[in-house]
Amino acid sequence: MKRFTCLLCTFLVAVLVAAMIGWSIAAGNFLVPVVAIPLGVIVVLACRRNVEEVIADERERKIYSQAALRTLEVAVIASVIAAVIFLSFTVSDTLTPKITGSVYSSGNGTNSMVINLYRAGSPETPENLIRTITIRDIHAMNEDEARVYCQFRNEAFLENEQKGLVGMTIGGILAVILVTYGAFYLYYNKKY
Amino acid sequence: MKNRIRVLRAEKDMTQEQLAERIGVTRNTIISMEKGKYCPSIKLGFRIANVFGVGIDDVFTYEEEIDGPSQDDE
Repeated sequence: MKRFTCLLCTFLVAVLVAAMIGWSIAAGNFLVPVVAIPLGVIVVLACRRNVEEVIADERERKIYSQAALRTLEVAVIASVIAAVIFLSFTVSDTLTPKITGSVYSSGNGTNSMVINLYRAGSPETPENLIRTITIRDIHAMNEDEARVYCQFRNEAFLENEQKGLVGMTIGGILAVILVTYGAFYLYYNKKY
Repeated sequence: MKNRIRVLRAEKDMTQEQLAERIGVTRNTIISMEKGKYCPSIKLGFRIANVFGVGIDDVFTYEEEIDGPSQDDE
């Protein structure tokens, strides 16, 4: 097997395993990663073993290690800066008022909604209630009601949005790390 | 570090690919060594010398750099 074929095979296996893991998490089937990951590793190792050419010699290893070291240095420094910036947001997070909402169905077929705004950083008790807004019909709300409703909806889906944001952030960080590593790899490949 | 790999290879009428195969490295490593960009390990140095049937000091010559450490030390 040629080196390029092995690389292609490794890439395909990685994509397949990643897709299977993604699907299994969405479907709630956690048995798939347990099988797919070791199977993928076995296939990749088998491919590497069948390569007739030299895959990596000491120069290649030196380039890999230098590129990895420099990437790690950059990643650590960037992570420290990012962590300080993002941690500062948690200070302001506790200052944001908490919003809760409940929907009630009335006999005439309309749905009303009660939205409560509580004091920041306090438990949801009547003493901490700042104000209550009642939307008589959520299908026919006025401008003020719509604004409060939008704010509530925004907060209600905050958890999902945050999870999505975490996923996107991890993906972004991974992409940046890979690009940085690639840049350092090219640099050291040219140097040595 | 200077080396005579290119000269010795020419004397033995050997291609870069053949030498790479004999010592178990990639052709890029041979190219890099011949250009003087990459300084091989002692182990690889001995393997190269053995292939050409000469001593290691017939292949490699160490030259002290006047202005600071060599790039290979980084």
